Amino acid sequence: MKITRRKLIRAAAAGTAMTGTLGLPTALFAGQKTVKLGMNIPMTGDYAPWGLPGLYGCQIVANDLNAAGGVKIGGDNYKIEIVAYDHAYDTEKAVQGYKKLVLEDRVKMVMMLGGSTVASVLPWARRKKMLTTTLLPSDITPKSDYLIATCESHPLYNVTGVEWLAENHPEAKTAVIVTNNDAEYGLQSAATYKAAFEVAGIKVVDVNLHGFDITDFAPIVSSVLAKKPDIFCMATSFYVTPLMEQLYHQGFKGKIISCTLDYYNEIIAKTSKDFVNGTIFQFPDFDDPALNQAGVSFPNPADFDAKFRKAHPTDWSAVSWEYPAILLNWLEGAKAAGSVEPTAVLSALKSNKNPNFVFGEGEWWGKDLWGQDNALVGRWPVVVVEDGKARIQEYRSVSSWLDRNKAVLIRHMKDLGLRTV
Amino acid sequence: MNSNTQKIVGGSLLLAALIALPHFLKFHHQDLLIFLTINVLAVSSYRIVTLTGEWSLIHAVMMGVGGYTAALLFKYYEVGMWVTLPMAGILTAAVAALLCFPLFRTTQFYFLIGSFAAGEAIRLIWIQFVFPFGGTGGLSGVEPPMVGEIDFMESIPYYYLALSVVLLCLFILYLIENSRIGLTLHAVHWKAALAESVGVDTWRYRSLAFVIGSFFVGIAGALKVHYLGTITPNQFGVGFMVFILIWVIVGGYNKFYGPILGAVVLTLFDESIRGFAEVRPAIYGAVLILSILFLPLGLESIPSKFKAWSGIGKERDPLSLTDK
Amino acid sequence: MELIFQSLINGLIQGGFFALFAVGLVLIFGVMGVVNFAHGELVMVGAYTVWLLHAQHGLSYFFAIGVAVVLVTLIGLFMERFLFRPTQNDPLAGLICSIGMLFILQVVATLVGGEGPSKQVPPPFHGTWVLFEYLRIPYQRIFSLLISFFALSTLWYFLTRSKLGWALRAVSLDKEASALQGININRISMIAIGIGASLAGLAGALMAPLTNINPHMGHNVIITAFIVTIVGGVGSLSGAVLAAFLYALFHTFVTVYFGGTIATICGLVLMVVVLIVKPTGIMGTRISE
Repeated sequence: MKITRRKLIRAAAAGTAMTGTLGLPTALFAGQKTVKLGMNIPMTGDYAPWGLPGLYGCQIVANDLNAAGGVKIGGDNYKIEIVAYDHAYDTEKAVQGYKKLVLEDRVKMVMMLGGSTVASVLPWARRKKMLTTTLLPSDITPKSDYLIATCESHPLYNVTGVEWLAENHPEAKTAVIVTNNDAEYGLQSAATYKAAFEVAGIKVVDVNLHGFDITDFAPIVSSVLAKKPDIFCMATSFYVTPLMEQLYHQGFKGKIISCTLDYYNEIIAKTSKDFVNGTIFQFPDFDDPALNQAGVSFPNPADFDAKFRKAHPTDWSAVSWEYPAILLNWLEGAKAAGSVEPTAVLSALKSNKNPNFVFGEGEWWGKDLWGQDNALVGRWPVVVVEDGKARIQEYRSVSSWLDRNKAVLIRHMKDLGLRTV
Repeated sequence: MNSNTQKIVGGSLLLAALIALPHFLKFHHQDLLIFLTINVLAVSSYRIVTLTGEWSLIHAVMMGVGGYTAALLFKYYEVGMWVTLPMAGILTAAVAALLCFPLFRTTQFYFLIGSFAAGEAIRLIWIQFVFPFGGTGGLSGVEPPMVGEIDFMESIPYYYLALSVVLLCLFILYLIENSRIGLTLHAVHWKAALAESVGVDTWRYRSLAFVIGSFFVGIAGALKVHYLGTITPNQFGVGFMVFILIWVIVGGYNKFYGPILGAVVLTLFDESIRGFAEVRPAIYGAVLILSILFLPLGLESIPSKFKAWSGIGKERDPLSLTDK
Repeated sequence: MELIFQSLINGLIQGGFFALFAVGLVLIFGVMGVVNFAHGELVMVGAYTVWLLHAQHGLSYFFAIGVAVVLVTLIGLFMERFLFRPTQNDPLAGLICSIGMLFILQVVATLVGGEGPSKQVPPPFHGTWVLFEYLRIPYQRIFSLLISFFALSTLWYFLTRSKLGWALRAVSLDKEASALQGININRISMIAIGIGASLAGLAGALMAPLTNINPHMGHNVIITAFIVTIVGGVGSLSGAVLAAFLYALFHTFVTVYFGGTIATICGLVLMVVVLIVKPTGIMGTRISE
């Protein structure tokens, strides 16, 4: 499996681009056109787990669509080609890769992870009227007309886990929050959790923000556990595994809630199945039976899960299905617009009052917090580890929580110095 | 043709080539050209620091200080690039002047490590204090200027702007090096005891070199942030510092143009091995080791080596990598 | 009160690791006069070896530790022979060569382990020792602390009781005088880097089950090692060991009460202060050249 991954990176290296058509018959069907979709994501470095698995996912979806004869958009038949560049979460490389995708490869959409790398390309998105997507709605600004977040509603969905926890474990009354101290992922999540805990009547007794320079988490965990919390919350930490390990060794018996729990099998190997069971987080495995419910728009999730794990057995992460879901959103928009042109697809997507969100119907949201309704928000699954396996407990509505409590959320965001309108 | 006319003709040809160059490049290569132009200023300003024989590991962070100055001025005081550019230089020089008091009480190895520590501390402060520095995500939304019809967000106009600023700075750096100050700096390096005995305050001249170098690298930082629009702490970490070191050493630091040569040649080399994305740093590392072992005076020494070998010129550079 | 005792224990365990890699750095600098910037990468190679052999291929943890130590020692010897010896008259050249080596080792690690998430090693010792009902020490950490203690005392015994150890210390005090006494400087350099590298490899192997393993993990290690080296006094081994434990306790307590990044900033500032006020460090006697 390591070899496959390395081979792919080599393939990337060969032309600095990977295409979604690797290993497929390259012959086009009669009269078929090609539409190029870009990915400007981290494939190396610390952030690679939130980039590379998304490329693998998109390749699977694109291959399936192409193998079925391509997609029909506005009377034409298109083959989808994915062009991906690695920016290693570096703004300089992100700008270069973005301009290359837009000006040289002539892609019709650029998918990105978010944060500073998205901020650095926004002026170009505006100038070239290029449809750009992010996984972080907090990247939206009053001026970012061409940036949309159609899949992940980070950090908003975290409220669903807290709601579920408060309902199912009413005895838990105090919480500590531990997270990375970056304004893009960690602090956004920390503010959201603080708001959600406040609304649920749970007292936050400590917030510990840690840097990327920590080698040992024992002091941090000891320090927050001294507050005797009922709930240990990891907002968005890059260090979930070592934190969980310390919790295990320091004998924590309360509830654990986290935004992500990537590679939870490794955590189980480091601690125990019993310890990890009951951990609440937000990202399902796609063989989950609850994904076959009516309303979920992702086609045949179990099949996608199987194909992904067959090709890349150890790479499943929170983003594996998210970039593909964005690709499918784009396809829907393009079909509605009858065109692949970025502005047409964008206006078709935005003019749909009840667009198809990955977990069901959604609505465009974001104006109150970031200045534009460019984030698609709907219901989101609450996932809990049961007998060593992630299982969706239920779907809860993010939008209705926001309707009731957005003032609380905005207050906590301002508290942590985050940008709001 | 005397040597002055030769110099003028050569200079004009080079200038013409630099002006024509971007029109033959693809878009992303134009970006690379702009970054290279800015990096040339970074390495040339580093050279003036090393003239006194002190190798600092804080130069990349000082570039960041300039970049953050420009970004903060632009965001919180809404002043344009024409103000932020000189202010970035001045503020970076001021920070450098403050750092002189602790850092130049040390020399050699201790200075190297001390400058590294001070730089890391500054970088961690950018990360720790989300207000005003934006934390790990840094600051964004810094714009290049618009002058009438000229839009400096496009690569070619910005390249000309950066080129003019960098050439002006290089010219000033060249003048400084060949002035009385420059000669004193050389003396502080090679004959510190002698210089002190004739009344040169070596502490003052070491500090002066550091402040001058920081002023110009601050401007380089501002040039970078206005083009990219964003600034993050990780851009100026030890990784970038190592690149500055490599460019200076592989190019050769005994001559003014050595570091520039290093930056240009290695950037071209780096672009040509883009196909080996995964192993690129290792190739870089190997080049660095080989050049230290076999070409300690850098690329700029090749012509004189060649001359010596072919017997055309008998002169050889008498300086070894360190002074003994 | 519980928190203070728990933090003391956490700090002591950290100190064991810090001492292992800082002592190596000091030894190499003392004898050869070169700052080994790739020292953090030697630790990283040790951790990767354990990941590859133990976690991926199911070989015994102890066997993996042994291989890690031997492998890293060999890398160290290679660096001495081909990088540091040819440049021995120029400390800057040695430093730059070690930076080149750092890049190469990082790429090798990426090629072996692939890109993607940090590697994890399941701990061979499960469970936690509970003391007085509230102090908790995982067995894995007790094991690590015992091994580092053992390694450091062996080193101390070697340096103070053996002829070779005397020679080594003599070289770090005065190279030329030692050479005049008939000590083979090259041989002593080999031994110094051999010991330094093996301790770094051991530190990596012991840390492997306790931390995130990735090609860039050496960066945090080298910063810590620099701070410890400077505070302890360049060239002073006992100073380095003492400083390792003091700094670990300092870092742990500042982390507990003010946060991790603040702790590192304080450490760096402390280092600059020591450089200015007492460049020979808390135990150092060597005077800067």
